[in-house]
Amino acid sequence: MTAVPPADINQRPSGAGSLGLLRLVLSEYFVLVLCVVYLAAIYPFVPEMLSLEVASNILGDMMPLLVVAIGQTFVLIIAGIDLSVTAIISFAAVVGASVMTGSGGYLEGSNLAVPGAVLAMLAAGLFIGLVNGLSVTRLNMPSFIVTLATRMFFAGAAIWYVTFHSPSSSIANLPTGFTDFSTTSMGGIPLTVIVATAIGLAAHFLLSRTEFGRWIYAVGANPQAARISGIPVSRTILMAFLISGGCAAIGSMMYVARMQTGSPILGENILLDVIGAVVIGGTSLFGGKGKIVWTVFGVLFLMLIDTSMKMLGSSLFTIFIIKGSVILLAATVDTLRHRYFGRG
Amino acid sequence: MALNRREFTISTLMALAATGGLTVAARTQGTKTIAVLFDGLYSEFWVAGIEIIRENLKNRGFEIFEAISDQDDNKQFEQVRAAIARKVDGIIIVQTDSNAVIPAIKAANEAKIPMVHFNRPPAPSEAFSVAIQADNQKIARETVTYVCEVAKASGKKHQAAIMIGDLGDPNAIQRRDGFQEAIDQFKDSVELVASIPTEWNADTAFAGLTNALQANPDISLLFTSSDFLLPQITQALKSADKWGKIGEENHVILAGFDGAAPAYALMHESYMDACGVQNLFYEAEIAIQAIVDLQDGKKVEKLLLDPGFAITQANMKEKQAEMWGYVLWAKDNPQ
Repeated sequence: MTAVPPADINQRPSGAGSLGLLRLVLSEYFVLVLCVVYLAAIYPFVPEMLSLEVASNILGDMMPLLVVAIGQTFVLIIAGIDLSVTAIISFAAVVGASVMTGSGGYLEGSNLAVPGAVLAMLAAGLFIGLVNGLSVTRLNMPSFIVTLATRMFFAGAAIWYVTFHSPSSSIANLPTGFTDFSTTSMGGIPLTVIVATAIGLAAHFLLSRTEFGRWIYAVGANPQAARISGIPVSRTILMAFLISGGCAAIGSMMYVARMQTGSPILGENILLDVIGAVVIGGTSLFGGKGKIVWTVFGVLFLMLIDTSMKMLGSSLFTIFIIKGSVILLAATVDTLRHRYFGRG
Repeated sequence: MALNRREFTISTLMALAATGGLTVAARTQGTKTIAVLFDGLYSEFWVAGIEIIRENLKNRGFEIFEAISDQDDNKQFEQVRAAIARKVDGIIIVQTDSNAVIPAIKAANEAKIPMVHFNRPPAPSEAFSVAIQADNQKIARETVTYVCEVAKASGKKHQAAIMIGDLGDPNAIQRRDGFQEAIDQFKDSVELVASIPTEWNADTAFAGLTNALQANPDISLLFTSSDFLLPQITQALKSADKWGKIGEENHVILAGFDGAAPAYALMHESYMDACGVQNLFYEAEIAIQAIVDLQDGKKVEKLLLDPGFAITQANMKEKQAEMWGYVLWAKDNPQ
């Protein structure tokens, strides 16, 4: 099998000392270094960035985005893209809320309301992932078009769904058993952090320690070669989209618990953050390369920028410009790395 | 003296801490800061609103911490937490969804920072905040009653349409209800044939109105729940050959809501019959006063109403000076 886990740039031979900076830029820990440098640079202007309160805010803000980005990492490694994650978040949000709401929910007042809603949200995410995966594998459609279409369809469906379940444009009055998910801690660690960490570790294990993980990299690196090597390419692609759908649904649970509302526009604006965080981390847009830990760094860096800009009172448009520039830079580095260093 | 790496690291960190400390010290000695968190500046009403608030806060000596959430409730929640971390002294907020803002109110409550909702109240909850709201239902009722009287005076039966706002916004619901109450009193003269959802989105509104005019070509009375849709209305009516001045054969009796400058311009040019006016100056004043009172520990009601008024072709000359849109229009059109 030709597939390999992500290549280590540091192992590349380099004769000249001038390549030191290039090595750092191409290093898998570059984004983490950037996070530290950025924090040091912004600290004099926003000293609160190093306070416990803001650190806790950043951690809380990171978790839903991280879970969604982890799912996206799988799809990007197979050289695909999942643009439907935001629609999965909103659709799962309204479906779950309609099951458990205390204002006419399907399982209103029942002990099964929360588990029922969680299952419904997960089912919604997996279903959309299945539609995406089957469209790509069975119909040979580009993932960009498939997920763009499902994004439009299910974002619209979410709005339509709410009109049958609420007199307003969102579904509220959710049980505390569910909303406590965003505020409960275990041993001082927020539950959302525990869940996101568990998902991250599971995803890391899956990618780096299992045969399925090797299939993922192989399919992303060269699907033809992977097929000839006997790898079930279609099944691998399908699984990647299912994982992305499932992760988006879990991200949706975190958002709904936090906002205490099932809104059909929940997560509508985070697509750039999701894909941007994965790409900033170093996962290649060309497939075959990526790590969960990189995605963690990417999400962290994006959150540091976002939070510091908010604390500075910067306008939304400034934040868009800065985040857009950083993502563009990351994509450029990825392209250069792809061009000059091959897959690694 | 040469520094080793350890000494350099320690001194750098100390310098950073000292600089940061100076920043905090400088800020704590300064004036009070109010966070102004809007969900978007997508209509003239909100642009004028934030400018009036800025001006008022500046005149009172407050510093302003501003953020726009682009209709993203989660983003706005994060902005509220950022404002709390910045130790602001009060928050004036315009949320997108009346339910989704409740966690933000609770966060402000926990931090003991007063929160005031500008022009858009939250859904009922145990969390405490103060909402400033126009008396939408009454203003809409008065405005639509006037146009229904115009319709009745014409001696023929009119087909009516309403452009409804986002139903997650209580303002939209109250305006719709005020419209309904008014036309219910004129069943002999006015028949409702189209309720057009707009989601407060100009594209959606244009498509909806165009479809409604095709399905009901005899529509001759139109109420829009917000003036920011007037450009789309103008375009759709022109396309349907229904853009005429008052008294002309193809005139559609038109009423708006907000009191924006384009609405005044259309009334001035006799294309529009009436408009429900929210008193933005008054709303900004009571919003900021509520923050000040809450900071001083005074009791403030959870809902403060702006009575507003209906400006019509009949009372335009007397009432126009109270219309914020007229004030803006008059700046660009000196008499």
